[in-house]
Amino acid sequence: MGSSLHAFLLRIKMLFRKRRMDREMAEELEFHQAMLREKLEGQGISKSELNQATRQTFGDAGRWHERLRELWQFRGLENLLRDISFSARMLKKSPGFTTVALLTLAIGVGANTAIFSLINGLLLRPLPVPHADQLVVLSIHEGGPTPNYSFPAPFFRALEHQPAIFSDVFAYNNNGRPLQVQARSGSEDVPGMEVSGQFFQALQTPPLLGRYLTAADDNTGGNPAGLAVVISENFWGRWFHRDPSVVGRKLVIANVPFTVVGVMPKRFIGADLMQRPDIFVPLSAEPIVDAPRHNIDEGLNAWWLTVIARLQPGVTLQQANAALRTVSGPILHAADDPNYIAQEDKAHFRFQAEPGSGGYAMARFFFRNPLLALLAMCAGILLLACLNLASLLIARGAMRERELATRLAMGATRWRLIQQLFIESLLLAVLGTIAGIAVSPLVGSSLAAFLTSSTGDPTVVLDTSLDLRVLVFAAVIAIVSAVLIGLMPALQATAGNLNDHIKDGQHARQLHEQRWILPRILMALEVALALVLVVGAGLLATSLVRLYRSGVGFDPKGLANISFNMDKQQLEGDALMRVYQEIGQGLSHQPGVKSVSFQFITPLSHRGWNGNYSAPGGNTHVIWLNSVGPNYFETMRIPMYMGREFRWNDTNASGLKIILNQSAASLLFPDHNALGRQIVDPSEKTSYQVVAIVADAKYSGMMDSAPPAGYVPIQQDEQKKPSLNAVVRVDGPMTPLAATARSLAARLAPTIPPPILTTMNEVVNNSVSAQRMMAILSLFFAGCALLITAIGLYGTLAYATARRTSEIGIRMALGAKRGQVIAMVFRQNAWVAIAGCISGMIAAVLASRAMASLLFETSPHDPWVLLASIAVLLMIASCASLLPALQAARIDPILAIRCE
Amino acid sequence: MLILRALQRGSMHGYGVAEWIHQTSQQVLKVEEGALYPALHRLELRGMLSAHWGMSDNNRRAKFYQLTAEGKKRLSAESQRWARLSAAVAFVMQAS
Repeated sequence: MGSSLHAFLLRIKMLFRKRRMDREMAEELEFHQAMLREKLEGQGISKSELNQATRQTFGDAGRWHERLRELWQFRGLENLLRDISFSARMLKKSPGFTTVALLTLAIGVGANTAIFSLINGLLLRPLPVPHADQLVVLSIHEGGPTPNYSFPAPFFRALEHQPAIFSDVFAYNNNGRPLQVQARSGSEDVPGMEVSGQFFQALQTPPLLGRYLTAADDNTGGNPAGLAVVISENFWGRWFHRDPSVVGRKLVIANVPFTVVGVMPKRFIGADLMQRPDIFVPLSAEPIVDAPRHNIDEGLNAWWLTVIARLQPGVTLQQANAALRTVSGPILHAADDPNYIAQEDKAHFRFQAEPGSGGYAMARFFFRNPLLALLAMCAGILLLACLNLASLLIARGAMRERELATRLAMGATRWRLIQQLFIESLLLAVLGTIAGIAVSPLVGSSLAAFLTSSTGDPTVVLDTSLDLRVLVFAAVIAIVSAVLIGLMPALQATAGNLNDHIKDGQHARQLHEQRWILPRILMALEVALALVLVVGAGLLATSLVRLYRSGVGFDPKGLANISFNMDKQQLEGDALMRVYQEIGQGLSHQPGVKSVSFQFITPLSHRGWNGNYSAPGGNTHVIWLNSVGPNYFETMRIPMYMGREFRWNDTNASGLKIILNQSAASLLFPDHNALGRQIVDPSEKTSYQVVAIVADAKYSGMMDSAPPAGYVPIQQDEQKKPSLNAVVRVDGPMTPLAATARSLAARLAPTIPPPILTTMNEVVNNSVSAQRMMAILSLFFAGCALLITAIGLYGTLAYATARRTSEIGIRMALGAKRGQVIAMVFRQNAWVAIAGCISGMIAAVLASRAMASLLFETSPHDPWVLLASIAVLLMIASCASLLPALQAARIDPILAIRCE
Repeated sequence: MLILRALQRGSMHGYGVAEWIHQTSQQVLKVEEGALYPALHRLELRGMLSAHWGMSDNNRRAKFYQLTAEGKKRLSAESQRWARLSAAVAFVMQAS
């Protein structure tokens, strides 16, 4: 084997010295020729015969040169390079085809990779901590359809020590409000997290500097040395300029000094993939940083913690769940509310653990199904693009029969030709996928920005950066599409009898008809796929339109929402109400303002507050609540059926009042006589008088129908210092209101942060962002699918017709009319389109069933949508097929026959 | 084998090898140029010969080949084989 290794090495050396090698070979052969000439001259042959003689003995110098060169090259590599440059030239010769092909592929691959990077960031990525697969998320099952992922403090503390099942259990707050940190001038809102004692220990990431928080810090008042915090590396850079002596420095949060005891490295992001907290405070310090709220004190009334645990090594999920079931009962019964205990017992209360390597993120629930549906659509588009390219390449390949047959006759092996055609298609595929992959990060991050902005929380982060998973996905897509596109045309083009290829040209029709079956099947598949995508887009768009039309119960147009944060000022109770009253008056004096009111919960913001109420002697029902100001229903334009609005003098002293919506009224008072009656809160033993009945309105989300709801006056709110939103009905521009609100706040409550203005239209749009994204993107994909299919139909028919030019010419010469020719050509594609539509309809009916959960008041088999989709597709197919048909009819018979 | 033998006496250029074989075989064997140079290059690739550029007798630049150690080994092996083969053929042809 030594000799072949030697040969290999020498060949590699020659790879880099091609030109020199060429020169040397030429020189060597020239030398031999010169010597031969000298010898012949010496033998007396005349000059004229000299050349002939040398040429006879020596032959064509070029050919020897070629043979020698081949000896020294890697044959495979040389063939490959030659094929690639040949293919590149062929592609450059038909720029239209190449551009279209590359574009469709880029769209298909780019869209798929972008959506997958979103799915990766949201659903697949684990937390960047060691052994993330051992982490589980805990939830509370109360018999409802979905478990509750928010824990109250007492239940968490009871679960904090379960050494038999979990090595660590920790919790953090999921009501992320920023921490108010005192800066050099004024205060700054910094994103932070309240974490329990075992948080850092469970996440097993050593700190960059100092230490992290431990259970000793998670006590009221902190550890014996005081209150401790841990900061992120980013914050250390931003705030302390990476001062190495940061450990021991003080941070004043909510007017209380905390000591920095450690800095966490940049790669540590906590337990929530979508948050990037800068400051970690102990959970027990919550009443300090979250003032005036006191969630810990509220016990079972505040559900504000996400609980995650790390399984003991060797403990399986089933074992953990079994163990949790046994401790659920005792923990529940240790609670201090007997009514609650009884209610939960009936509902089979239990704790549950589920795999949580990616931690917990509420956004997942909103976006999981839409994203998966989008991925399915993207896969469909990619398949469509591949089919399209394959059939176009096959059709184009049929045009080159003569060339291929000639090459076969001259000695090329079939395998060699297949290789070259494959390279041609492969080149197209590789370029297209590279273009797509290059574009996908941009598309992915803009989609991610859209998703995160629609959650309404500016600190939410969706990390769509490329990691191994996305790259592998992109590579797999590239390979699959390259093979799909490349193999079929190559095999197809070189099939068949050699003689037939050369002989027939454009005459022997029968054998050719067979060769057009494969492209036609591919086109029919394409039409079917396009129909499925169009039906999907139609359904989603219809659902979105119906969602908007279903109304929210109030009129969001011209309605502004101004949120005030009253935490950091001293007034409360009636004094605070007077401040609100003055704010209301100040706003109502602005030009264009029709009416002003207040609300505690903004509708459609996924926040909720509920309670149990009953009519005396009746059953207890769950009623969803909001506290609102006077003139609320007039401002929101919610119809009032009977009764009166709240007034500013409806204070606590005048008796507790409530306004019910229609559903609540019929629920509590089936005899429809709710006005003026009393309802009671069984746990608080308080009684409310019903002063009005209003129409139903949507509460926390657009997709859920309006629940039974009740409204209480803001003056009678249990909270001493509620932070309310002003709702303003405005005729005209809303932006001046922001400035007005800011000046009012500065005058009446100087210590609060500036109020934030959003329009209710924005809120409504944000609440259906997932559905909007789906509808918009699916329409875009359907449009692409129609365009690609149209191009494919046009292209294959054009190629097929071009080959039949002489046949058509003969027909016309024999008397066929233009109309007959058009019909003949058109008919070819008609069958393809019809077959495609039928199979597509079946596929669409089956596939749309999977979409039912995404649709609002729209059946997945909505006949109007199906019919409209078929109509659109048939129309596009007809237009695409008509063009080649018209071109065929314009053929001059004499020219056509003569060309042959 | 013949080429290797030709180069046993020292380095030569391609034309020289062909001429030597032609002369030494009493004008019987004529090596076709089309076979000569591919053979020379193949032997060079395989490591039997090494090549360098030099000046020929009439002051022309030419590529000279010479045997390597591998080449010498190969030459002796080939010639032993040839001797055995031709002896065997001779026995067969002389049998009555």
